[in-house]
Amino acid sequence: MVYTRRTVWPLVIGIIMVAYAYLVQSGNMAGLIKFLNTGRYVGEMVTLGYAFGGVAILVGLWQLLATPREGHGDYYLSTVAGVMFIMLVAFVVKWGLDPLMGMWGRAAQPTLGFNFASILNLNYVVMGIIAGIIVVNVFRVPAWAENGVRLSRLGLKTGVILLGALYSFAELQQLGKLSVVMIGVFVLGSVWLVLLIGARRNLPNSMTGVMSSGIGVCGVSASVAAAPVVQAKSLEIAYTIGTVLLFGVVCMFVFPIVGKLFGMGYIQFGAWAGTGILNSAQVAGAALAFQPGGIETLKVAEIFNITRVLFLPIIVLWLAIWYVRREQAAQRTVQQVDTMHVIVSKFPLFVLGFILMFLLSSTGIFAPARHYQGSYFDNSENALVRTDRAGKKIDNHLKAEEVATLQKEMEKIKRADQKAALERLAQNKKIMTEEDDAMVRGVINSKALSKEGSAVLAKAHRVVRHTAPKISRFRDLIAWFFTFGLVGLGMQITMASIRQAGGAPLAIGSVVGVIKAVGSLIVVLLLVAETI
Amino acid sequence: MEDKFDRGSALTVFPSDRHEDLMALALALIIAALVYFLV
Repeated sequence: MVYTRRTVWPLVIGIIMVAYAYLVQSGNMAGLIKFLNTGRYVGEMVTLGYAFGGVAILVGLWQLLATPREGHGDYYLSTVAGVMFIMLVAFVVKWGLDPLMGMWGRAAQPTLGFNFASILNLNYVVMGIIAGIIVVNVFRVPAWAENGVRLSRLGLKTGVILLGALYSFAELQQLGKLSVVMIGVFVLGSVWLVLLIGARRNLPNSMTGVMSSGIGVCGVSASVAAAPVVQAKSLEIAYTIGTVLLFGVVCMFVFPIVGKLFGMGYIQFGAWAGTGILNSAQVAGAALAFQPGGIETLKVAEIFNITRVLFLPIIVLWLAIWYVRREQAAQRTVQQVDTMHVIVSKFPLFVLGFILMFLLSSTGIFAPARHYQGSYFDNSENALVRTDRAGKKIDNHLKAEEVATLQKEMEKIKRADQKAALERLAQNKKIMTEEDDAMVRGVINSKALSKEGSAVLAKAHRVVRHTAPKISRFRDLIAWFFTFGLVGLGMQITMASIRQAGGAPLAIGSVVGVIKAVGSLIVVLLLVAETI
Repeated sequence: MEDKFDRGSALTVFPSDRHEDLMALALALIIAALVYFLV
């Protein structure tokens, strides 16, 4: 089969991208950029426009002029057109529709009484996925782009692996404990619940087993991994995947709205999404939809997601034992399956890639090893006294009036260690150590000082914290990998795949899924604090 | 979508999930190297 289609469209897409990048770079789009308030994207508009446009033009010319022959070259090169198609949709949504929707939401607020764009969470992530769903279900993906759309999951997995570079030991220590407890309770709890309900409703053991893994652990990959040990049939796997997809798509849109209604912070929402949503891709979708302008929520959610995947071997072992006992109790013969082989061959390797990237990052090659959320502590004179582009010296030490504000409010601080840290700050006009910085953050979070006092502390904290340029670049790249993956994911959510869900599996899956989502929401709201 | 492709599956161009994971790992390492050397 030859995959390359003779079409002019990749070339046209390439020309559009390059032309757009040129117009932005030459300042011809300044009016539109100002109108849409997308000035912060100018750098990526130019870089990505030229990079993707250039590749699209080259591949477009090859696709138009060459005669492809069946083989690896034809197969893999034909994916480029689909990648460009997804990127074009992503560009339009992120740089055009997203700011436009924000403006419409604000403009309609006086009439409607609420900001519909904000309430419905219509940011570029949500609209990108919706655009993908509309393209595939209303218009259909063009034949020349179909092969490339199948690369979207590769984009998501690459994004997850790269995300490993952004964590520090301190963060992982803090989030790791929380995630192991929450995931332990909810994953094992929901697997147990599905097994219980399945047995009560007399569903086949194979169906119950595969569904418990899908609903409990991480959706599609868990269903596939558990299938051999419970000897599930293709139809049962399809039912489970359909249920997981349907539930996940609903969650992806509903979770961010609920999170905002409850006024959740990044850690709370990330913990909830990572625990309550069934499928990895949809966890990422919900986290980015909740916080489209940053990836702090995504980082928290992915830690929970990765922890969940790490539970997979335990679940597969559990299901193997459970299945054999149930079948033997029913006096049916059980085909022998090498459980360890199943675990090794089906375990998602990208999770290990994430850990590898984290270990690499922990050596300090991308940012000082003691970085926290990508920022590191540096209070040296070079870091505090800088020269701006115009050659003017900027001194970020506390000014005399700021020190006076601080000293006036010092008596409000009761803890001796916090008081000592603030006294050192006032004396030296800068935060002296990382420990003092933590104390200052604690005082800000406790809201013990007035607005002015807290502002002084926030400034003192800000000027000794620096984002590593490499970490900053990783953040941008990761956001684009996820955007690409999620728009492509939207293009794979066909009505046919969702229609696979149905009957008892859908009923049980939905009941347990809702219990897990609501239960984890309650636990997060009651027990998880925003401490960062 | 399955019938349209004689290689890979409806969700991926790669022969298996393991292949896809390895490709994602290779791609991530290349990008990490580029960031390390160029930024």
